[in-house]
Amino acid sequence: MNKIRITRRTTMAGSVALLANPAIVRAQADPIKLATLTPLTGAGGPYGPVMAKAAASVVEEVNKAGGVLGRRIVLVSEDDQTNPEAAVRAARKLIDVDKVTAIMGTWASSVTTAVAPLCWESKTFLCTVSGADSITLLPHQGYLIRTQPNSRLQVTRVGEFILSLGAKKAFTMIPQTPFTQSTFDVLNQVLPKGGATHQSLIYDDKKTTYRTEVDQALRTSPDVILANGYTPDTVVLLKDLYRAGFKGKILGFAYSINQKLVDQIGQNEVVEGVYTFAPSSAEGGSAYEKVKVAVGSANPDPYTCQVYDHVNMVLMAIAVGKAASGEAIKDNIRKVTQGSGKSVDNAVDGLKAIAAGEKVDYSGASGPCDFDEKGDILDCKFRYEQIKGGKFTLVKIA
Amino acid sequence: MLSYLLFIATIGGIYGLLALSLNLIWGGAGMVNLGLAGFFAVGAYASALLTTAGQAPIAAGWLVAFVAAGIAGLTVTLSTTRLREDYLAIVTLGFAEVVRLVAANEIWLTRGTDGISGIPGPWKRALGPDFNGVYFLIVLGVLLVVFFVVRRIDRAPYGRALRAIREDAQVAEVAGKNVLRFKTEAFALSAAIAGLAGALYGHFTSYIAPDLFLPLITVYIFLAVASGGTGRPAGALVGAYLVMALLESSRFFVEGIPGVTAVQRAALKELLIAVALIVVLRLKPSGVLPERIPPAPRSS
Repeated sequence: MNKIRITRRTTMAGSVALLANPAIVRAQADPIKLATLTPLTGAGGPYGPVMAKAAASVVEEVNKAGGVLGRRIVLVSEDDQTNPEAAVRAARKLIDVDKVTAIMGTWASSVTTAVAPLCWESKTFLCTVSGADSITLLPHQGYLIRTQPNSRLQVTRVGEFILSLGAKKAFTMIPQTPFTQSTFDVLNQVLPKGGATHQSLIYDDKKTTYRTEVDQALRTSPDVILANGYTPDTVVLLKDLYRAGFKGKILGFAYSINQKLVDQIGQNEVVEGVYTFAPSSAEGGSAYEKVKVAVGSANPDPYTCQVYDHVNMVLMAIAVGKAASGEAIKDNIRKVTQGSGKSVDNAVDGLKAIAAGEKVDYSGASGPCDFDEKGDILDCKFRYEQIKGGKFTLVKIA
Repeated sequence: MLSYLLFIATIGGIYGLLALSLNLIWGGAGMVNLGLAGFFAVGAYASALLTTAGQAPIAAGWLVAFVAAGIAGLTVTLSTTRLREDYLAIVTLGFAEVVRLVAANEIWLTRGTDGISGIPGPWKRALGPDFNGVYFLIVLGVLLVVFFVVRRIDRAPYGRALRAIREDAQVAEVAGKNVLRFKTEAFALSAAIAGLAGALYGHFTSYIAPDLFLPLITVYIFLAVASGGTGRPAGALVGAYLVMALLESSRFFVEGIPGVTAVQRAALKELLIAVALIVVLRLKPSGVLPERIPPAPRSS
C-alpha cells in the first residue's frame, strides 16, 4: 500500500491537471455562451433538472435554425445545490471561465441574492424565478429580470382566495423565509377587510415533528390553515394536522404541495381536499404546448415554463442588440417582450422576424412576459387546484 | 479564467483559515468543535453589520469580528467546562444552529433570511476588476500570519501542553497544567480565527445570509483537516486547498463526460468528490501531512 505516495507535489500536479484538462475540450469557434444555474440537488432538486432540460431544448431548436447572429449557442448547466455558498462558486466559474452572457433559472431567493452582485458587477444578465420582494430592489442596474410574480402580489391573491373559501378565522403556518414578513403584512391587511381574522406562527423548517405548532394553531380554532412551507416540512405538517383531527380547509403553494408531496405522504385521506395555489403558466397557449413536448410532461411546472421563456427572451434580445453581451441583453430585452411588435411564442420565429427587420412582442409559456423598470413582471394569472383522491383537479385559473 | 482562479484561491484561503482554526482546537486540544459554522457566522455578521449599518471602516469590522467570535468561543467553553468529546460536539453543533436561527429570525438586527447585501469590499470601486487579485493577497496575508501564529503555538511548550490535554486531560492536570485555562484560551482563539474567516468571506462576496452557515461548511472543514493531517497546521492548510480543488475541479471533470444529463453530472460530481476523499484517506490514513510530534527537549 505504501508504494503509492501522495505528496504535496503530486496532489498539486493532479489538481492542476484536472483544471487544465477541459481547456482542450472547450476550444471551439466563438459560440455564444449562456448558462442555467438551477438547483439540481438540494431542496430545489425536484425542479432544477426539468428546468435545465427545457432551457436546453430551446438552445437546440435555435441552433438547428442557424443560431443567433450566425453564431452557435452553447448552454452550460451548473448546479446551485440550493445553497448560496455553492451557487456563488458555480456562478463565478460561469462568469470567469465560461464567460457566459446570461445566467438563467436561479430558484431559491437566497441563491439569487448571493449571485446577483457577481452578475451586475461583471455585466452578466440574470433571469430568475425567485419570488422574494427584496430581489428586484437590489441595485442591479437593469441586469436582472424575474418571471415570478413578487410575493406581495401572490399573497394578495392567496388572501382573496381564503376569503372566497368563506373563512372567518384564518391561520398561517410558515417557516422563516425572505417572504415571511411580507406574507404576514399582506394577509393582515387583506383578510380583515373581508371580515376574517388572521393569526400566524413561524416554525423551524428543519424539525421532524410539528405537534406543538399544530396544537398552538388549533387552539385558535381556525377554519382555514395556510400551510406555507417547502415540501419536506409540509409533508410533516400535513400529517400532524391530520393526526390532530383538523377538519377545516388547508391551502398551500403548489411549489411545496405537489405530486411529490402526495407520494411521500402516501395516504390520500391526509391530503384530501387540500387547495393549492400557483402563478399560472399560460396554459393552452402555443408556447406552453412547446414546453410540454420539450420536457415530455403533460403539466410542466411554472419554473420550467419560466426558464423556457428566459432563454427565448435572452436570445432575441441578443439578436436585436446585435451583440452577445449582458449589456446588449439589458438594453434590448424589453424591446422583444413588450410593445406593439409582432406577437411570437418562440425564439426561432422571433429571430426570423428580427432578421427581417420586424419588431417582436414575446408571449411565453409562463405568461405575457412584460416587465416594469425594476425587472418585475407586470401581469400574471394564478392557478387554483384541489386534491381529490390523490389527484390534482383544477378549480380555476384567474 | 485568472479571475476565477483568484476567486477560488481566495475562498480556499478562507477555508484554510477555518481549517487552521479547527486544527488548533481539534488537532491540538482534541476538542471536537462541530460549531465552526456558528463562529464563522458570528464573525461574518459582526463585521457586516458594523460596516453597513454602523458605517465603520472595514478593518474595524474585521477586528470586531475577531473579538466577537472569540467572546462567543469563550462563552461556549465556559458554559461547557464539564463536557468532553461527543457531548461537547453536540453542544457546539447546537450553538451553530442557534446562531443560524437567531440570524434567520431576529429580523430587526440581521434582516432575517433576506440576508445582508451590499457589504463593502476594501477599495472595491477603485480597483474594479482587480479586486479579486488584491483581495486574494489580503486573505493570503491574513492566512500566513495566522498560519505562523498557530504553528508557533503548536511547536511551543503551550502546544505540547495542549497535546498532553488531548491525550489525557487527567494526567495533564496531575502534571500541574491548568487544563481549563488551556482549553478556554485555545477554544477562544480558534473561534476568533473562524470569526475572522467569516468577516473575510462577507466582505469578499458582499452578501451573507443564514443559509450560508449550514453545518455543511463544518463538514467540509472537518474533511479538509482529516485529509490534510490532523494536528499539523500545514496539513490543515493543504487539506483546505485539497477540498477546494476537489470541489471545483470535479466541475470541469464531469463537463467532459459525454452523454449524461445535467442532473447525472451533478450527482457524478458529488460522487467524484467522495471517492477522491476516500482514496486520499485510504492511502494516507493520517492525512497528506501527518502530525509530527517533536521530541521533548532534554533536561540538562
